Amino acid sequence: MPAFEKAELLREFHWNPDWVTAVSFLGSTRRLFAGNRLGEILEWELPEKFEPEEEGPDPIRSYQGHDNAITKLLSTKDGKELYSASFDHTLRRWDLETKPEKEEKIVLNAGTIYRQQFKRSGKKEEPVERTVSVCSKSKNLGGHEEWINALVLSWDETLLVSGDDGGKVLIRERSTGKERQSWEVEGWVHALAFSPDNKQAVVSERRPLVFDSAQRQAIKLWDVEKGEELKDLTEEYKKHYLPALAWSPDGETIAVGKGEDADGIIWLLDAKDGKQRKKLDPVHRYGVTDFAFHPDGKHLFSCGRDTVIRIWDFHEGKLVKELGKPRGGQFKDWIHAISLNHDGTLLAAADMAGQVNLWRLA
Amino acid sequence: MTKSTLCTPAEHLHRRSFLKGTLLTGTGLTVANFGNLFGSKALAAETQKQKKRCILLWMNGGASQLDTFDMKPGRPTGGPFRPIPSKVDGLEVCEYLPKMAKIADKLAVIRSMKTQSPGHPDGIYHMHTCYKMSERTPHPEIGAVIAKYCGNMDADLPSFVRMGPTGNTGPGYLGPDYSPFSIKRDGKLPNFANGGVKPEVEERRTELYRFLEEEFAKSHAAEPFENHRLSKERAWRLMRAKEAFSLGDDWEKQKDRYGDTNFGRGCFQALKLIEEGVPFVEVGHDNYDSHANNFVCHKANMQQLDPAWSSLLIDLDQRGMLEDTLVVWMGEVGRTPKINNRAGRDHYVKAWTIALSGGGIQGGQVYGKTDEDGREVTEDPVSEGDLFATIYKSLGINHRKKHYWGQRPVWLTPEGSKPLDKLFA
Amino acid sequence: MLVSCFCLATLVLGSTLAGKEKASIRGVIDREISATWKKKELKAAAPATEAAFLRRAYLDLVGMVPTYAEARAFLDDEDKDKRAKLVDQLLADERHARHQAEIWDLIFFTRNPANPSATRKRGRFQEWLRKQFKENVPWDALVQKILLAEEEGSAMFHVQYRNKPEDETVALNRIFLGTQLQCARCHDHPYEERTQRDFYGMAGFLVRLSVREEKQGKDRVWRIEEKSSGEVLFTGAAAEAQPGQKGEPVSPKFLGGEELEEPELPEDFKEPDYKKLKEAWPKPVFSRKQKLTEWLTSAKNPFFTKAIVNRVWAQLMGRGMVHPVDDLNPENEASHPALLEALTQWFVEQKYDLRALMREIVLSDAYSLASAGEDTTAFPKWYDRARVRPLSAEELIASLRVATGFDEAVGKDAKMPSSASSYMLKIFGKPNDGQGRFQGGVDEHLFLNNGSQLRGMIRSKEGNLSHLLLNDEAPWEERMDRLFLSTLTRYPTDSERKKFTAYVTSNEKPQETLEESIWALLTSSQFRFNH
Repeated sequence: MPAFEKAELLREFHWNPDWVTAVSFLGSTRRLFAGNRLGEILEWELPEKFEPEEEGPDPIRSYQGHDNAITKLLSTKDGKELYSASFDHTLRRWDLETKPEKEEKIVLNAGTIYRQQFKRSGKKEEPVERTVSVCSKSKNLGGHEEWINALVLSWDETLLVSGDDGGKVLIRERSTGKERQSWEVEGWVHALAFSPDNKQAVVSERRPLVFDSAQRQAIKLWDVEKGEELKDLTEEYKKHYLPALAWSPDGETIAVGKGEDADGIIWLLDAKDGKQRKKLDPVHRYGVTDFAFHPDGKHLFSCGRDTVIRIWDFHEGKLVKELGKPRGGQFKDWIHAISLNHDGTLLAAADMAGQVNLWRLA
Repeated sequence: MTKSTLCTPAEHLHRRSFLKGTLLTGTGLTVANFGNLFGSKALAAETQKQKKRCILLWMNGGASQLDTFDMKPGRPTGGPFRPIPSKVDGLEVCEYLPKMAKIADKLAVIRSMKTQSPGHPDGIYHMHTCYKMSERTPHPEIGAVIAKYCGNMDADLPSFVRMGPTGNTGPGYLGPDYSPFSIKRDGKLPNFANGGVKPEVEERRTELYRFLEEEFAKSHAAEPFENHRLSKERAWRLMRAKEAFSLGDDWEKQKDRYGDTNFGRGCFQALKLIEEGVPFVEVGHDNYDSHANNFVCHKANMQQLDPAWSSLLIDLDQRGMLEDTLVVWMGEVGRTPKINNRAGRDHYVKAWTIALSGGGIQGGQVYGKTDEDGREVTEDPVSEGDLFATIYKSLGINHRKKHYWGQRPVWLTPEGSKPLDKLFA
Repeated sequence: MLVSCFCLATLVLGSTLAGKEKASIRGVIDREISATWKKKELKAAAPATEAAFLRRAYLDLVGMVPTYAEARAFLDDEDKDKRAKLVDQLLADERHARHQAEIWDLIFFTRNPANPSATRKRGRFQEWLRKQFKENVPWDALVQKILLAEEEGSAMFHVQYRNKPEDETVALNRIFLGTQLQCARCHDHPYEERTQRDFYGMAGFLVRLSVREEKQGKDRVWRIEEKSSGEVLFTGAAAEAQPGQKGEPVSPKFLGGEELEEPELPEDFKEPDYKKLKEAWPKPVFSRKQKLTEWLTSAKNPFFTKAIVNRVWAQLMGRGMVHPVDDLNPENEASHPALLEALTQWFVEQKYDLRALMREIVLSDAYSLASAGEDTTAFPKWYDRARVRPLSAEELIASLRVATGFDEAVGKDAKMPSSASSYMLKIFGKPNDGQGRFQGGVDEHLFLNNGSQLRGMIRSKEGNLSHLLLNDEAPWEERMDRLFLSTLTRYPTDSERKKFTAYVTSNEKPQETLEESIWALLTSSQFRFNH
């Protein structure tokens, strides 16, 4: 069992026109994708070996189509399909086959260049320009009319599940894109996770009002086939916003992460009855943002609004390792999302500071 | 029990006589008066015909101008909301204000607010009184001023009603007569508004109470005693006038239009109170102070604000009341163009937005401009004093009216304040 | 004849004054205050009546009005030193400790404490705090105990600010040093000297504190531990902060003073694995908490003594000499700078004895002016009239219980005051506009007018006030004494006696009208305020 003792930061891919908000490896390939708050998506091709003294590689391609923040990126295990969800109400499947025809120049430190104009002194950076090919072919799967915050693939990859701020949960057949089932929740869909047997979904909801009786936080288990509520777990999570949910590959544990500028507590639930089995310690300060399960089926990874990635043994409910340290002033910076590659040797993190952090885990 | 009509204002207005009896008839008999609004309505209607009214929609915490009426799409300060066109050419509003977009021809949007108080206590004070918070002078809130100059002391309904999160300054140097009347944030009466004892018991013990207070007041003039006595009187008046606060079937019919929310019901209650002759109602909306998670916060708030505000304006217009009713939309501060690392916006007073409707203001216009990122005002900056001068002008109040605080003269707006004439039809 | 008497009187008075000044600070208080009246050409109010002094002293020192028996005992006493004796008696009373603990608990936590899941239930801390006041622990020692948090039950102040050294910095400075730092958190002060670095320099003292929770049976017990390493990271003005900025560590620095000198940690130093420790952590190599505590509570600290003296003064006299009491900045001048200085020095000499300070203030002439007069100010700046301030919710509940004889009643509904209490706290918890000015919402009037709780407390039951009055055999005119003394702590005026007697006897069932009379007295403005 890898103990992650030797985990180290391999690379920081700087890309700061805006916050990097989503990240995903493509199946078992060496292709890495990241999305940002402007709706831009970039691709890097990782080398087989990383030389310690070098930097890079540079991004090779950009994917155009979204015009608002990318909330989720995910791919199929065979590396043939890439999906992206966004605030622009679209859920897209990208054409990875067709060779890109155009090229464009991008400025990797565009954010720094913009902010420099307000500085009166200090060194001014030069723009870091790179040329990338452009892919603009994607299929908008439709079905949503609000910000899409949640996107998951079922464990057998037959179903693609998404949820939006209009309260809609939508389940489609991945291969055809056809709608299989959908239902409405009362609030806005915040996060969701699917059971490995495709029978249940856990959905967290919110309506983030302040001092208002219509404020809502909820978490429920749903019967996927019938589209009906199975169990309401909200009672134990009143006043908690839950931006991250994950279902373990053995189907027995549900990880629930609290967030949205509050102490990022992680609870492990028994999937059979929804009861809290363990509360993990320490918390992510200011909130959890994402979960990922390691392919070894024993470890849970979490990231949050404190730039720390934590590795947990989720059977024991114990912390195994922390990657990174809290960074920033009074209110720390965020890691928006994490992605593990197919064999769990690499981890990519979407860093709000405008970069993708690449960690070697073993 | 019928109310004795035609009590002259002089008999009622003076504080002492108020304390002398529940109501003083022509013959000096005291008569209790519970639950009968008829006489009050007629009286109020008569005196209100000439007078103007005002509704203040208070966005507590400070709404973000860049996410509502002064959008900067595509700019680094723009954020994830997208603008939509409105009924007015050249005026785009946030996608989450679709109903307001359809009636934008009733709005005058001032994008060039440039104010001085960036915090909450000082900002709330400054935007309710147009003066900086300081101990020297207790300035009256806008509601107290309007209560004084547009109100009718005879009416059972108070002249200055507020609900939800609002200003908290009070009547200042105008005196406790113009203190605000606070009700619950959804427009409902506070708890315990129903009389707890039989009317004859209420009457006789009230008389005893008043006797005791009068004796004490002869030798003790300190303000807290006065405030206490007057709010007791106000409580009794409220018990008499509580019919105006039960919306009953009306609300059932309207709640889909206004939104079944505290703010929605509060706006509908405000409409009703204005109809009954109350000259000033403030409806507070919580909470816009999004130092963190600015966008989800504003999205949720606007989903409540849009139907309530638009229905209020439409209903005022349909009833022919919009011409005489000024509706002010504002908070204590704007929010920073820069988005911080909690996905929030902090306080910003160098360039922000408020909106006015009705009350003789020409709708469908934008006043003032900000730069491409919303950092600075580039045209026609508006100070707190200018804004208040404009509001007072709309309501027929002299914005340079002088009062006295002790020996010192004080004015309703600071020197140099000028109403924005361009805004008027 | 008259002249010689006068001379003799002056001589005697003069020597007594001189004697008094040597022995106590009271004379200085009165001298300074009357000097200012003269300068401002103000005419001070007359001295308060014995009854007014009695009520005021009880409310200020034990947080409730006196019982009928206590009132009679004082008013009937002919001893010319009875005021001093009363004050000593009240200061030693258990209710004094309880009242002071309530006041300070509210200052430390307010009605909406931070970290509510931990701090809302702080019974142990409140008990510990009451004990400190019961033992008259000197103020500097008390603050040290709170900051060091080593005694059982004393840790709650820090618990409020778990992992939030910036928030705690603001609170510590405001409460104990009367210094406003919250602006400096995000930017350099526009016109004062405080910079953001000053703020972070103070936060550096607190960053190594850690809150540890222990379970003792069903209770949670809190411990404050301190690490040997860890720094606050500073990223510049909040308005310019950008994600990706790595903060730079700021060394701890005393506000307005020097950087803290600390020994360097040994090269191979490693913090113990705190997550594995089950019991108390080892002491840190060097304790910043200790140094902060020493500096903050030192008599040499220019703000520490001044802040507490000013606060206690404000508690009793209504308005601090520096106002507001948590803003002792140089722009905010004291109304009586020489007096404040003298009191500050004296308090140090008295070794921070709070009871001694309160005693001197309460027995000064300035404290015992009447609240009657034409001046409408609630808290006169020049102390030319007694202040008028509303009873806190706790004081109101306690006083209503005393006045109605609630606790003496047999067969009372034991639940009643507590359900009334939660309403009371909600309705009476915050009667002013944040600037200390009483606004008087309708809520409290509606509650008292229409709610059944107060009527229930008044309703005649064996042992309580109504019952006693109904079964008294004296004529009603005479029973009015007891009625007024129990409720308003004074005898009725002639017209009041007449009016109330007529009122009560006008009804066939005097119980009803008697209870209504009690109601009128208890809901009146003269009951509502401490004046």
